[in-house]
Amino acid sequence: MSGIKLEGISLDYGNHLALKEVELEIKQGEFFSLLGPSGCGKSTLLNIIAGFLGQTTGVVYIGDQDVTNIPPYKRNLGMVFQNYALFPHLSVRDNVAYGLKNKKMSKQDIKQKVDESLALVQLESYATRMPHQLSGGQQQRVAIARALAIEPSVLLLDEPLSNLDAKLRKEMQFELRRIQKSVGITTVLVTHDQEEALSLSDRIGILGDGVLQQVGESLEVYRRHANRFVAEFIGQVNIFDAVLSEGTVYETTAGFKLEAEHHESGKQPNHIRFMLRPERIFVEQHVSGVDTANRVKAVVKESSYIGNAIRIRTEAGGIELAVHAPDPMFPVLPAPGQELVLSWNKEDIIYLEVLDHESN
Amino acid sequence: MKATRQKKFYGVLLAPTLIFLGIFLLLPLIQLLILSFQQVDNFFEVIDGYTFSHYIEVLTTPVYLKTIWQTLFVAVITTVICLVLAYPAAYLLVRSPKRWRAFFYILLVSPLLTSVVIRTFAWIILLAQNGLVNDVLMKTSIIDEPLDMLWNMNAVIIAYVQVMLPFAVLPIATAMSDIKGNLRSASMILGSNRISTFFRVTLPLTIPGMISGAMIVFSLAAGSYITPLLVGGRMQPLLPLSIYQQIMQVYNLPLAAAMAFTLMVLVFLVIAVLGYILKKWEVRVNG
Repeated sequence: MSGIKLEGISLDYGNHLALKEVELEIKQGEFFSLLGPSGCGKSTLLNIIAGFLGQTTGVVYIGDQDVTNIPPYKRNLGMVFQNYALFPHLSVRDNVAYGLKNKKMSKQDIKQKVDESLALVQLESYATRMPHQLSGGQQQRVAIARALAIEPSVLLLDEPLSNLDAKLRKEMQFELRRIQKSVGITTVLVTHDQEEALSLSDRIGILGDGVLQQVGESLEVYRRHANRFVAEFIGQVNIFDAVLSEGTVYETTAGFKLEAEHHESGKQPNHIRFMLRPERIFVEQHVSGVDTANRVKAVVKESSYIGNAIRIRTEAGGIELAVHAPDPMFPVLPAPGQELVLSWNKEDIIYLEVLDHESN
Repeated sequence: MKATRQKKFYGVLLAPTLIFLGIFLLLPLIQLLILSFQQVDNFFEVIDGYTFSHYIEVLTTPVYLKTIWQTLFVAVITTVICLVLAYPAAYLLVRSPKRWRAFFYILLVSPLLTSVVIRTFAWIILLAQNGLVNDVLMKTSIIDEPLDMLWNMNAVIIAYVQVMLPFAVLPIATAMSDIKGNLRSASMILGSNRISTFFRVTLPLTIPGMISGAMIVFSLAAGSYITPLLVGGRMQPLLPLSIYQQIMQVYNLPLAAAMAFTLMVLVFLVIAVLGYILKKWEVRVNG
């Protein structure tokens, strides 16, 4: 088991820079997620760690060892691929034994290790099946068992759950976390699914345009965004600009007032860009008392069910506000044109960017 | 209801081909089968009455048995050489950049674009005692006396391999390009280097392509007669040549028909065995 250290990793494809000066340290035993939209370079970075791609500049350390010039088959890594990549001509047992046979282990040891690995993913009774006889979730478990059987120093997961349906994905997330905890292996997960990253990881790194935008603990990344890219990527957000009116009260371009907590600098900036999450907004159907800060009258433009919640698009004085309201609040979907009162707590108003330099 | 209508429609689409094959393949084959059982007089004229004697002659006369054995042996050797040579070519086809691929495909099938006679005469020019290959070897003093490269079984095999290679390359290339890219990655990350990955992943997964290629090459090599006639000479112990002799020189048509059917059944048997293995493999891998 060992950690990973990336020092100044860049990958230049000539016509575009896929990765720019990525600096990252993943601690031993940590579950780290690389999160980002498709094409952001997250899989590229994983492939550099695995050794399938060579970086243009920079050094990859696994443990204390500089692995830059070590081919993938000598790095002793476990990797799980998006479409499982099980060998279709080999049985479950032979798939799991594949890497062990490269280790010059005795037949007896291999058999024992395969049984252990299959037990870890709870597929002991499937050893003699062929991959095509397994469901997607089972195939993924075999892939995990195969990756862990060789006792790798690091486990790399390349969008491992994206081919599974929503329910199974949830189960497998839980399963992945359980296995990772029980083995205690350093794990790097590449995903575009922020919920997956937030629920699984100790820490998250957000990649955008080949740049590591923010690294932090899950909750921290969710609550405090390094920049607008991260904010918009991590969930749907409402963003609006406002000007300081007094104390910590700001007035938006739409005319309604926001009261925020004190700015971390100690001095309130004059011109600010705020962020407010749709699920942090309370909805009242009875219109009253909208003269205070953090309370605004809005008109419904569109509404729809999303499983256990209702997504409402509203407009307040020319600003669009997205709201996620819990399902039981509305016996029927709010109709377009209906007036609502939206409110929120001041701690949910998040400072995104100080715009002072633009306004003067 | 809809499904049955669709099936009928497929039937209509198939009809022209089936009618054509029925008239020009099945009927002649039946005639040939009947012919192979017909009795002949001392001048090999067909007379009334049916007999197994032609089949007995084919299957008991030492010279014919040797011919059958040689025919199958040459076909097997040709198949094996084709498969071995096809592998690198298929690899090149699959791995080459897209803009080169079309060029390589044309290059690969180019032997099929020339007529068999022209192609075979080219081999005569190359392999003859005073041919190009001997010329070069003599002038560069690699050999003192011209090599006997023509009018023997080696020449037949060389010419076979040249023209049948594409039939081995194409199915292998198809099977190879069907292998998902991350299977090789998975193999490498599990500790197999490129060579080990080739033998443990690429090679087993191209078995269906190899079997398909082997079926085509084997049946073509067992049944050709122009190529062996031109570069091997008519005395080579190959069943197609014996059939040719019986028809064109001896005029013993029933015996020729019996030989033809013997050859056909043997080729069918080999193909049936290969097909069975292919089917088994595919059920194992794909369900």
